[in-house]
Amino acid sequence: MNPLLACTGLSMRFGGLIALDNLDLEAREGEILGLVGPNGSGKTTLFNVLTGIYRPSAGTITFAGENIIGGTPQEIHRRGIARTFQRSRLCLDLSVFDNIMIGNHTALRLDFFYNLLHRRAFSRDYEMWRDRAAEMLQALNPSLVCRMFRPVGDLSMIDRRRVEICRALVSRPRLLLLDEPSAGMTHDETRQLMDEITASRMSGGSLTVILIEHEMEVIRRSTSRCVVLNFGRKLCEGDYAHVVADPQVQEAYLGKELE
Amino acid sequence: MDLLLQYCINGLMLGMMYALVAVGFTLFFGVLDVIVFSHGDTVMIGSFAGLATYWWLHAFYPALALGWVALLVLMAAAVTVAFLGVIVADTMIVPLRKGPALNTLLATMMLGTVLRESIRLFFPDGSNPQTFPALLPGWSWSSGNLTLRFDNLVLFCGGVLIIFLIHMIINRTRLGMAIRAVAQDEEAARIMGVNYRFVVLATFALGSVVAAFAGVMNGLYYSEINFGVGLLLGAIGFSSAVIGGLGNIYGAILGGFIFALLQTLGAVAVPFASAYKDVFAFGAVIVLMAWRPTGLIAELSSQRV
Amino acid sequence: MNRVAVFFSGLPGCILPALLLLAWSSFFLTAEDQISVFLSLISLAACVIVAVRMRWGNVLRDSIAAHERLWDACLIAIMLALLVLFREDHYSLFLLGTIMAYATAVMGLNVQLGYAGVLNFSCASFFGVGGYTAAMLMAGTGLPPLLTLPLGGAIAALTGCVLLLPVLRTSGHYAALVTMAFALLFRVFLDVSEWFGGPQGIPVAPLTIAGLDFSRGISWGDTEFSFYLKYDLLLLLVLCLAYSLTRRLERSWIGLALDAVRSDEVASACFGINIQRWKITAFTLGNFLSGLAGALYAMMLAYISPANFTFADSLLFLSILLLGGIGNIQGVLVATVLVVIIPEKFQVIQEYRYLIYSALVLLMIVFRPVGLLPRKPRVYTGNPA
Repeated sequence: MNPLLACTGLSMRFGGLIALDNLDLEAREGEILGLVGPNGSGKTTLFNVLTGIYRPSAGTITFAGENIIGGTPQEIHRRGIARTFQRSRLCLDLSVFDNIMIGNHTALRLDFFYNLLHRRAFSRDYEMWRDRAAEMLQALNPSLVCRMFRPVGDLSMIDRRRVEICRALVSRPRLLLLDEPSAGMTHDETRQLMDEITASRMSGGSLTVILIEHEMEVIRRSTSRCVVLNFGRKLCEGDYAHVVADPQVQEAYLGKELE
Repeated sequence: MDLLLQYCINGLMLGMMYALVAVGFTLFFGVLDVIVFSHGDTVMIGSFAGLATYWWLHAFYPALALGWVALLVLMAAAVTVAFLGVIVADTMIVPLRKGPALNTLLATMMLGTVLRESIRLFFPDGSNPQTFPALLPGWSWSSGNLTLRFDNLVLFCGGVLIIFLIHMIINRTRLGMAIRAVAQDEEAARIMGVNYRFVVLATFALGSVVAAFAGVMNGLYYSEINFGVGLLLGAIGFSSAVIGGLGNIYGAILGGFIFALLQTLGAVAVPFASAYKDVFAFGAVIVLMAWRPTGLIAELSSQRV
Repeated sequence: MNRVAVFFSGLPGCILPALLLLAWSSFFLTAEDQISVFLSLISLAACVIVAVRMRWGNVLRDSIAAHERLWDACLIAIMLALLVLFREDHYSLFLLGTIMAYATAVMGLNVQLGYAGVLNFSCASFFGVGGYTAAMLMAGTGLPPLLTLPLGGAIAALTGCVLLLPVLRTSGHYAALVTMAFALLFRVFLDVSEWFGGPQGIPVAPLTIAGLDFSRGISWGDTEFSFYLKYDLLLLLVLCLAYSLTRRLERSWIGLALDAVRSDEVASACFGINIQRWKITAFTLGNFLSGLAGALYAMMLAYISPANFTFADSLLFLSILLLGGIGNIQGVLVATVLVVIIPEKFQVIQEYRYLIYSALVLLMIVFRPVGLLPRKPRVYTGNPA
């Protein structure tokens, strides 16, 4: 079976700094791929390259059989890649519903005639999307539904993460990139959130997920396979048990034993 | 040829003045990441403080030698403006840092209006242009269309000296090191034991003293001062600092001279309408921003995602 | 909630404040001596303080939100009532016209800065482009006068296109500089350009629509209506259109896209939002509104000069927006009224008005940066007028 996403020889240099170094990576249709590595090993850079924020210095990226290098973030999103951000980038002064609809931007009608003069049709559309957003929030946290028109800034950290995930999922992407969803949350909250994501994935059909995570417990429970990065290179690849046992991985995290 | 040389000399004088104003803008931006737009009016206050001192000296010590008068005028202007700068920084700009950058910009624009209006209303006959006394000997040397004035030479050399002193302060003293540390990373500098508040206030005092010199220089050069000059000087200083890349002192100095060059070019290139020189200069700034969106010497910045 | 609150959350919550507002403003506008001006201001301040203390503000807001159409009608009715009341008083009618023209221009600025976050320190310049366009077109061409109004807006929007490239490429302080440079350039240009009348300015021919000359008063029976009345009515129409346009824009997917661009460009781009497109839309639309307002204002003024469109005026527009609460068009209305009327009525502070006014805005930014009426999260439906 062809992989959904395939990167070969991917490199990203910022001046003298090599953030990604000749990286090969594959994500198969429907799997949850864990991406692990110490700070500064290039995980977030990889996401930025995949979503078109940075243009890689070398290498290829194929998504669903097509090259996506050189595409703007807008085009790449249209092809079905959505993401969340390490430091949550919600619009704090906008409401929960607004934030979710930002994720749905490509499905919205944006011509002036419709938006300004055709208010009745607009209202019908709006009600449809409101119900859809409510449905998604219901699945993650029912209490969010009645707070749908409150500013996101009023919400707790875990609820903000939930909104961020709704925003990424609302456009029904084929590939979801989750950048450290557990940052700023407790263990219990993280576990709860990941269970919710896994559950919503079950109902949503075949969604592929790449997950950056420091909590190894989360990686163990949620992912089917993981890739370990260090200094922009792939250290090893395999299932959780295999990766944890790898001496190179232990060295990267804990340092080398003095001889 | 003589005329061209004269343009060059005038341009250099203007450039020096603008460079001194721009240094203040860029210093404040360096330590606080804000634009203090009232800095142009600080320059204006400097020249009025100098004028008031001159009047006072003239009334009570008419026999004082001109050199002493010049020195005292300069010192009084520097002290007044440094105080003003420190007070403004401490009460207004530091507290405003929590809000969006636009608010600081707007607030300092309003402060500029307050300063301007205060001079207009409360300085004796402040709404009219005031004659600024010639504190330097009026020797000059002419040949054809070219006039070289001694006082201009002194002012220019004074400007060079000030720039050299700033360079030394920033690069060779502990205070300069602290300023550079805060500019690079405020958080880290605090942790390493830098007295943040002191450094910020000292930077404002330093920038304001330079502004005072520019103000007195402005008065001596034009031998007339006007309450409204601060707005244009502020805009020019801001433009110069931005052209040179915000936060970069040498860039700001370069930017000041570039702006003067643009004005002079405007005056030379369209001699039938030299009034258009400011239109030309600001138009060139807009074009420059379209070409190099973060100034000629780009500000080092990265966006973390 | 007590019974009074329940009572006021219904229809009376809309109508009663509207009546109070009408009574107050008619008294304020007619007040001749300084004491009554002062007393009326004090009483207004007292009302506001009591209302805030008793938490009537929320009740009032909910009531207005529930009966939006009625509230809009009330506001229009107040304005019409004031116009009828002051039908012979040139000065008051001129003030009301100024308020409406400024409010329309600030609506444009609100679309730019409040929604899309595009900095514009040259709002007054685009206002001026509209004004000068009207003057030149009326003097030099045989175009129907009514057409010069939208043309004023269109030329302002086109002029803005010159700035598009630098505005799109820069951000933050660099963007501030671009528009600031334009404002200064525009002023100096008008000052030295003989074609546009130089520092003395140029006259603007009065508007005529279908043979109706706007520079003449109307006599009807034994009352003589001021000629400003016609301009005021037209300005009211333009303001209503601008208000309705801005509000519908906010409550649509376009408004959402603009807000997204303002709050986070990187995240917006990752969700497919075309940043450049929305910035261009907002900048051009805003300039159009400013230019339109400027054209009509110039006709009402009958004579314009560069001194009407300085950098200080751009700052004035910006402070109106900031004072009212960025992004809240109701706040814009309130702030425009305050900023235009209070210095005009206070003869004592006339000389000191710029000083007092800028000091007040300064204090406002330091102590209440969100403005008088901060923007609330968006509602999409409601009854857009």
